[in-house]
Amino acid sequence: MFIASFLARRLFQGALIVLLVSAIIFTLLRVVPGDPVRLMAGGMAPEALIEQIAEDMGLRDPIYQQFGRYVGGMLQGDLGQSFVRPANGASVGGASFDDNTRSERAEVWDLIANTAPMTLQLALLAMVFALIIAVPIGVWGGLRPGEFPDRFALYLSSVFVSLPNFWLGIVLALVLSVKLKLLPAIGYDGFAYTILPALVLAVEIAPFIIRTLTVSVAGVMGQNFIDIAAVRGLTRNQIIFHHALKNSAVPLLNLLGVQFSMLLGGVLVIEFIFDYPGLGLLTINAVMQRDFPLIQGIAIVTAAAFVLINIVVDLCATAIDPRLEY
Amino acid sequence: MSYLEITPDLSTPRKERKIAARIWSEAFASVEFKIGLVVFVILLLSAIFYPMFSGIDPTKMNISAKLSPPVFFGDGWSWVHPLGTDQLGRDMLSRALVGLRYSLLIGVSTTVVMLAVGALVGLFSGYFGGSVDTVLMRLTDAQLSIPMIILAITILGVSRPTIPSIILVLGLAGWPVYARVMRSTVMSERKKEFVRGAMVLGATDWRIMFSLILPLVLPPIAFVAVLDIARMMIFESVLGFLGLGVQPPTPTFGNIIADGRKYLMNAWWIATMPGVFLVLTLTSINLMGAALERARNKIYGGA
Amino acid sequence: MALDTAHSTEALLSVRGLTVTLESEGKTRAILEDISFDLKPREILSVIGESGSGKTVLARALVSWLSAPLRVTSGEVLFSGSDLIADKAYAKSLAGREIAYVGGNPAGALDPTMTVGAQLVEKLRAVRPDISAADAKEKAIRLLGAVKIPSAERRYHEYPFQYSGGMMQRVMIVDALISDPALLIADNITQPLDVTVAAQILKLMRELNADFSTAILFICSSLPVACDAGDEVMVLHAGRVVERQSSANLVAKPEHTYTRQLIEELPTLWADDRKGRDTPPNRDQQAIMSVRGVAKYYATRGKTGKALVQAVRNVEFDVFPGDNFGIVGESGCGKSSLLRLLTGLERPDAGSIFFEGENVGEASSKRLRALRRHFQLVLQDPYGSLPPQSAIGSILEEPLKIHGIGDRKERRERARAAMSEVGLNEALYDSLPTGLSAGQRQRLNVARAMILEPRLLIMDETLSALDQTEQGKLLDLFERLQAQHGFTYIFISHDLTMVRRVCSRIAVMYLGETVEVAPNERLFFDPGHPYSRALLSAAPTLEERRYRPEDCLLEGEPPSPIDLPPGCAFASRCPHVFERCHKENPALTSRGNHALAACFLDSNTGAKDSIHD
Repeated sequence: MFIASFLARRLFQGALIVLLVSAIIFTLLRVVPGDPVRLMAGGMAPEALIEQIAEDMGLRDPIYQQFGRYVGGMLQGDLGQSFVRPANGASVGGASFDDNTRSERAEVWDLIANTAPMTLQLALLAMVFALIIAVPIGVWGGLRPGEFPDRFALYLSSVFVSLPNFWLGIVLALVLSVKLKLLPAIGYDGFAYTILPALVLAVEIAPFIIRTLTVSVAGVMGQNFIDIAAVRGLTRNQIIFHHALKNSAVPLLNLLGVQFSMLLGGVLVIEFIFDYPGLGLLTINAVMQRDFPLIQGIAIVTAAAFVLINIVVDLCATAIDPRLEY
Repeated sequence: MSYLEITPDLSTPRKERKIAARIWSEAFASVEFKIGLVVFVILLLSAIFYPMFSGIDPTKMNISAKLSPPVFFGDGWSWVHPLGTDQLGRDMLSRALVGLRYSLLIGVSTTVVMLAVGALVGLFSGYFGGSVDTVLMRLTDAQLSIPMIILAITILGVSRPTIPSIILVLGLAGWPVYARVMRSTVMSERKKEFVRGAMVLGATDWRIMFSLILPLVLPPIAFVAVLDIARMMIFESVLGFLGLGVQPPTPTFGNIIADGRKYLMNAWWIATMPGVFLVLTLTSINLMGAALERARNKIYGGA
Repeated sequence: MALDTAHSTEALLSVRGLTVTLESEGKTRAILEDISFDLKPREILSVIGESGSGKTVLARALVSWLSAPLRVTSGEVLFSGSDLIADKAYAKSLAGREIAYVGGNPAGALDPTMTVGAQLVEKLRAVRPDISAADAKEKAIRLLGAVKIPSAERRYHEYPFQYSGGMMQRVMIVDALISDPALLIADNITQPLDVTVAAQILKLMRELNADFSTAILFICSSLPVACDAGDEVMVLHAGRVVERQSSANLVAKPEHTYTRQLIEELPTLWADDRKGRDTPPNRDQQAIMSVRGVAKYYATRGKTGKALVQAVRNVEFDVFPGDNFGIVGESGCGKSSLLRLLTGLERPDAGSIFFEGENVGEASSKRLRALRRHFQLVLQDPYGSLPPQSAIGSILEEPLKIHGIGDRKERRERARAAMSEVGLNEALYDSLPTGLSAGQRQRLNVARAMILEPRLLIMDETLSALDQTEQGKLLDLFERLQAQHGFTYIFISHDLTMVRRVCSRIAVMYLGETVEVAPNERLFFDPGHPYSRALLSAAPTLEERRYRPEDCLLEGEPPSPIDLPPGCAFASRCPHVFERCHKENPALTSRGNHALAACFLDSNTGAKDSIHD
């Protein structure tokens, strides 16, 4: 009962947010300088032709009309077509404008749907690595505030958070892949290609988990019910594993919800460095090519993912701490 | 803890100092802050003075000295170029240090912009609540749900990046987190009795917000913003790396490393050495930031 | 009972020469010195001491819960003959099993993320692994019923936050007794509770002592409560046991000067020295504050969607210039909501509040700000009520700045004058308030409120954070200021002894309503509402009670202000409830001599005065 009304409320709010996001991105892309049609048609195309195409595509209509059309399509699951990518994959555009290819431009939705699973695989593996590194260190640090484990957590997270992902990616690729030949690095040809990018991403995420955990575990350990549990006769293992860890999980969950965009940002750069064919690489190419429909589509899909992830996070959090329902 | 009441001597003597000063001195007493500070000051001084005094122009090409390795590595290194040279014979050390200047400039200004915008939004949202809060927070949610980097590269990718536009874009993309934190602390301060006291005395909302609540909630948030300077420096370098940062020939960490990536196989130092500088700077800032964060938590948790 | 009853005449617990020290900044200070006493099985021994006497440290020492910088330096704690101090493993094996502990903070004592039932079972099975989960659950539910938690079966599955403070304390008692311990250490267990709830808990504890034959060490800071609870009372002062006697003897023939002083300082409710102010203000003049049928509702999100909390309903009273008006009630009675209405921080949903004939609830915000010069509020929490980052001088000048009074020099002079008037050293002008004691902070609060020269001062539990002596000093200060400036006071309080001492006229609140408004003497000697009698019966005092708890004490807890039953809100707990009470809500009706009560029983016998006499 509660869950149904909660979901309804949050999904409605989420839809509003996605709408707002699409409006922001949509406007932004139309007010910034740079004409995408010029890019599409190529520098050689005559002015009249460019106007013709723009007219055909509805790009000269008032913004609100364009937006209305776009939202209409969005509601039917149509995110439009890429400006530059043909349905077969390679990008077109540049100097050789060919009017015939326009009908075969790739659907934005297909482009996203094809690359998203790759990114998901990368992100999940990275999350697993990050948790493996961060949870023991964070919990240990939180259990002994001010002592060595806590210092260790502090220094390690300070160093990790200071490693720019692209630089670390280059260094690790140089060392592990080029010199030691342990792992493949560039492109994608099997699961092994995910490991190195995932490691780099994990190093980027881990410090945040470590910090959140040390703070929340230390905070929970200082609370009255933990303090009194030993007097009530509970063993230290019961206290830590049944009570302290469960109570520290909520801030961690919230972190994962809020830092989702950081994760995506990391994915973007890392996919670019490792030439990993996921959503991030797609985004960068879309920006470089001024492929507006694709940028819009990606922004909207990621906003929707953000909304959904936060709903799931909040559901998990209420399952752990029932007070949050109220 | 309840039983400390009965042992009043135990509580540390309350020094009559403002919280900001207490956080500083608490942080300053920690090892990590001192390490961070020393490293940072050395790097900062080098960034300011080395390019000036060495007389080496970071953009000056010298093909005859191209791809010279750093000292002690490989053949043909020299003290003239301690970190070697790039494919055009430009001195890596001075390039890295000039890059550091831009990186710091953009990191600090961006953080100030996002702190200011976020603090203002959060202050209004948390103080007034109700529909003001709903509107501002929906806006914040929307902004938060677009990954910052997508927003930044979209704007910078389709327009031409300049230093002010980079600062503005990164700052505007980063404010929502501050708005949220600020909102929740303002909300909790607003419930406190002294705010009620001020209202009963007849103080206007404006006065309570800006002369009573803001000075209380801003310092703890501003201290932790030090960590974001580092984050924003990384961001700037990422943009540079993607070609969307400050444009060459001005050297930045991002564009140096992007350049160096092409020569990774025969001149590994171009891509990696400036990175070491960046990592050192970031680590020093992060250590100071972490020390400040802990000091803040300690003082706010204990007071 | 795990203990062999054959030895029941021997001491269950004997403490011998226990000394606990505190190390701070290289200095060692004794918190407990040479404590020795015995506790026999099934005995209840009360330990009384003021804050700082070391009583909580004693409780913690007995359950092996001391951590640095506190340390036991000598002595033994013998439990059935074996020393707990020397043998840590033995102490550990007894924790929660033979020696149970209940503390003064029930709200944070259990994990908020697990149901109460699951934690009771977890605890029982941690100390008694031989008990099956099903048996443990059965026992937990049985004991929850035994401590009078209604529908125990259902509440077993609820979370700690769904329990009220009093109910949670019952749960903690179950938690302690579920393993059938031989000894229960009860450390300040009634301290955070309202008087009527605390009285229920005390009664419950005595019953359990009889049923479960558990010895109890009952630690508290209130002498009346200690005497009520224990067979014997041990007085702790500055870390030493100064005296131990049976409860009756202790009050009748205290041996130690400290005990004597304690008894003397204890405020009384009925003893016939002059009480309150016996010069009732002139009721012919215009009331300074007049409250008429005021109500306030808050919307909350309940289990079934939106719900209205009826925080304040039907509140009526007049305050006349020069009066000391008291408003008493337990937590949740709507005192704080009423306060927000009286001070104009919120506007009432119904009714009106007149300050000197002007309706505060309808004044424009500009007019309200101007009016604020004339009525001021002194807040409850001495620590939270002062802006932490401002110097004392600027705290005092702030109200003058807000209202644009005087120039810099004049403001400074007025601030200094106010400081000396409330007894704050003027040298503190530039210091932050961080170093001030609670009493000094309240003086500062008073100074800040009176610097605007208001006519009405509303005191919100202003004294409740202070100890007895400091309270007395501040009350004297209030009296002096009243004489000098002609202030009118409204005291909002939960403390009957305080209002008895200070107020001339008192309103009693229950569930958002004023159920009785009466002059001081009348309320304490002839209360017109059964709730007032219950409050009086539960008040901690050593005097012979005019109202015996057996006759007046309430069962259960107030209904939720969200779904109030029709009729009288007190009906669900009233010992004299009859049919009419469930149908109609009685209004305040005069009982003669300016006393009003909202009860059908009393109005039958009441005199014929009109309501606003």
